Amino acid sequence: MSRDRIQREPLRQRLAGLVWVSPWLLGLLFFFAIPMGMSMYYSMTEYTMLEPPLWIGAENYTSLLSDPVFIKTIWNTLVYAGFVIPLSIVLALAIAGLLDTDSRVSHIVRLMVFAPTVVPLVASAMIWLWLFNGDNGLINSALSIFGINGPNWLHERGFAMAALIVMSLWSIGQPVVIYLAALQDVPKHLYEAGSLDGMGPIRKFVHVAMPSIAPAVFFNSIIQTITAWQIFAAPYIMTEGGPDRSTYFYSHYLYDNAFLYQRMGYASAMAWVQLVLISVCILGIYAITRKLWSTRS
Amino acid sequence: MTDGSKRWQISGRVSRLMLLSLIGMTFAMPLIWMAATSVKPESQAMQQGFSLLPDPPGLAVDGLKDNYAAVLNDTTVNFPLYLRNTIIVVFLGITGCVVSSVIVAYGLARVPMPGRKSLMVITVGTMLIPFPVLMAPLFMLYTKIGWIGTFAPLYAQFFFGNAFSIFLMTQFFRSMPKELEEAARVDGCGHWLTFRHIVLPLSKTAIAVVVLLHFTYMWNDFLAPLIFIVDRDKFTLMLGLQLYQSKAGQTPWNLLMAASLLTLLPVLVVFVIANKAFTRSSLSGAVKG
Amino acid sequence: MSDGHTEHATKTDITRRAALVGLGVAAAGYVAFGPTPRDKVPSGRIVLDYWEKWTGSEGLAMRRLVDRFNQSQTDIFVRYLTIGSIDQKAMIAIAGGSPPDIVGLWSFNIPAFAEAGALLPLDELARSKGLSPDRYARAVWPMMTHRDQLWSMVSTCGTVALYINDDKLSEAGITDSPAPTTLEELDELSEALTVRRSSGDIESVGFIHTDPGWWSWLWGYHFGGNLLDIDTNSATANSEANVRAYEWVQSYPSRMGSRDLLKFQSGLGYYGTAQAPFLTGKVAMQIQGPWMANLIEAFDPDLNYRAIPMPTTRAQLDQESPVGLIDGDLMVIPAGAKNPEASFEFIAWMQQRTQIEELAQAHGKISPLRETTAEFLATHPNRSISTHAAIADSPRAFGFPKTRVWPRYVSEFDAAFQRIWLQETDPASALTLVNERAQFALDEAADRRHRRGR
Repeated sequence: MSRDRIQREPLRQRLAGLVWVSPWLLGLLFFFAIPMGMSMYYSMTEYTMLEPPLWIGAENYTSLLSDPVFIKTIWNTLVYAGFVIPLSIVLALAIAGLLDTDSRVSHIVRLMVFAPTVVPLVASAMIWLWLFNGDNGLINSALSIFGINGPNWLHERGFAMAALIVMSLWSIGQPVVIYLAALQDVPKHLYEAGSLDGMGPIRKFVHVAMPSIAPAVFFNSIIQTITAWQIFAAPYIMTEGGPDRSTYFYSHYLYDNAFLYQRMGYASAMAWVQLVLISVCILGIYAITRKLWSTRS
Repeated sequence: MTDGSKRWQISGRVSRLMLLSLIGMTFAMPLIWMAATSVKPESQAMQQGFSLLPDPPGLAVDGLKDNYAAVLNDTTVNFPLYLRNTIIVVFLGITGCVVSSVIVAYGLARVPMPGRKSLMVITVGTMLIPFPVLMAPLFMLYTKIGWIGTFAPLYAQFFFGNAFSIFLMTQFFRSMPKELEEAARVDGCGHWLTFRHIVLPLSKTAIAVVVLLHFTYMWNDFLAPLIFIVDRDKFTLMLGLQLYQSKAGQTPWNLLMAASLLTLLPVLVVFVIANKAFTRSSLSGAVKG
Repeated sequence: MSDGHTEHATKTDITRRAALVGLGVAAAGYVAFGPTPRDKVPSGRIVLDYWEKWTGSEGLAMRRLVDRFNQSQTDIFVRYLTIGSIDQKAMIAIAGGSPPDIVGLWSFNIPAFAEAGALLPLDELARSKGLSPDRYARAVWPMMTHRDQLWSMVSTCGTVALYINDDKLSEAGITDSPAPTTLEELDELSEALTVRRSSGDIESVGFIHTDPGWWSWLWGYHFGGNLLDIDTNSATANSEANVRAYEWVQSYPSRMGSRDLLKFQSGLGYYGTAQAPFLTGKVAMQIQGPWMANLIEAFDPDLNYRAIPMPTTRAQLDQESPVGLIDGDLMVIPAGAKNPEASFEFIAWMQQRTQIEELAQAHGKISPLRETTAEFLATHPNRSISTHAAIADSPRAFGFPKTRVWPRYVSEFDAAFQRIWLQETDPASALTLVNERAQFALDEAADRRHRRGR
């Protein structure tokens, strides 16, 4: 019996993990693989959802290439992501650095920074519409104190985009929380060594803390990339994509195609293109961060 | 320490405090306005300018009573019922997510198996899939198996694990020192016993983080309920909120803000309770690539 | 430091745990003993799920009628469900094979749903109940049909007219002036009503096209234009009449200054609040539906207003047949619904004068019926309801262009409108671009239809 067991163990051992991950394998099959297969099929059809799919081959993909709105939404999304990702990283890092103490004030401010991430979007969109009101909103009133005649945020090309970027920075609670956690891991003696070398708090943060939290930065930039590509609700409520589609984003157009224009097949093709585009973005970020940090450590 | 550096430190602390207050105020400002709007009468709800208090200010007391009572007793928007639905869905979702994700993650991190690396890549890859890709097919599948009309589409899939939680937990398990587990193995414990008696007790804070992140995610999820929940008696809070807003009709903004604050409150309470877990060192291992 | 700190930490840990347990117990108790669904369905009856979009007082009015129907019935029970984004939800439910029995769609949904075969044709059922075109106001029946078949029955409808805030007129010293009937007169009045602050900023305007900005596409109709030639399946967005119309639209920002106008616009309050620009006097004249009366009643009941048909060009002027948009809420039975006869029983009941007038009054809308009782008009919350009723009876009332690609068409139109309004383009080239894109969509739809063998 025992000899028998020894003989069988290697194989059993090698496969033991499969038992552990079996629920996830089932989940992947049922909730991802099968639906993705179906969606791949839909992307090759005209599918209004109300009628059976009509096979049209690659037509959806070829008409995407000549769809000016599709191109425009990709551009808009890239511009948005190009601002939001670096800005949110810098801002979240700075806030996390400031909050990295155990004082009472720090804990209260943590709550304040986190709270916006859980405000329901319908409500926060209204709040920001009020703040961005071009005639007498809070932001323009504040600007006018400094003698600046504020723009008509949500109605002018460019400024509408800027407004959405600012709004998205309001809900950076999640990355702040993750950076805070990562900062706990920086060995205290390194800080002390930094102090002895006469470093100020900012230089200490950059030279001592940054290298240890680089993985967290990478992690967050991936999450930010994904969310930037999926931005939908805020512009949907606040600008409806305007003026003249200058804040019309990829996910919004995809959603419109699926449900407003009844082009689920076209939308499925867009979703597959989106998957490719997100992957490319993430590979790009991976290459950049690796280059930046490989020179450091 | 020299006098100069001490003074420098104190002024540094003061400026840090001021900066923190400024940040706190900036982030809290919109929320304050939200709270202020929630106690205004409807006729003043979307008034422009700074007035935080209704005019006359005494109306705020009535507003506090009337608006919140109106939200809780609304005949078309059954808020208390939606709260109950949300609790059920979130509880089931978190239970399923934690139990399965922790087991799957430990398997991925420590138990030998073929194709571990590719499974990890696929797991992260599923996070990149835009929900609209899956939306229509999932609806078809759920219809086939009779889940439409129940809460199942909102929580059932988490019993099979959740990519984000699996990823976080796997990274956490990997960052644990191997020695403890090896000692247990020498004592003759199998993977399961090691996991159950050695690893789990050490993972409480990491699990707390997963619970919290998943809690916020599920509490605020709007798209899945929007697509999969049809019956008004099965609405979640987020769907209920949307009932206050009708595109061309009259939206009672004061009630919408009151209702939003009510839905926000439980999440903030949980955050306060769990603030420590968010900031303990356990998570940091989890986000290391 | 460390000792005191650890003690502090354990203490908070305990209270934290207590709080968590307390929270859990409270939640569990709430789930166990908390509220349960309110609607109880009587047994032994056919239960019909009726999806509708209305919430608030509009929803309550419909619910009252449904309750009354249920009381009058022994075999049928209608369950009224409020659904957000109703057309999208209906689409998903139909696709999933579990549609509700009755859905309240918007009129612009009909072509798309009908052409996809997602609706039950109602011609037979309507005939059996004696519901014929001559019962309805002239523009109502066409709204319910598509390609010569009946797909829906109206629940409420309204036409769009020009609302004038008479208080603003008297403020400006304009009294007893005849209402504008041509666009020239409108322009003149609008100019007279525009007020600027000492800083040069616009304080209030007479008329603008962007408030409310719900129908950017309709101005051409007041120049004798339209957007679609159904017979040839061709878009007519850049017809000569439409180009002239949008040149007229553009004359407003060019006269008032685009930037000034933008600043003014971004300071406007939202429809449905007390800050709606028509109520605050920021915009003295705007096009609106009859439901405007409910808004005025809710927030400023003393406001003096009237509604007149939207003026047209002098060439198009014909006071006997005013030009105006008609829109409505339409009840449909999805194809594949289980109880079409019972569903139509309810729909037909709703078509009776008592019910349809009661609902119309509650919503501040017109009666869709040809014959309107004197009492309906006399007790209607909207003092100008007869203006709206006249438009519904006019041969020049127009509905949404009947094509399934209308949502694509109109989104192109909205984008072009914004460029025109910002003075970034001349109307002719903007509309030509719209026409191209719309024609592309129309052709694609026709091609696919052909390939499906229809």
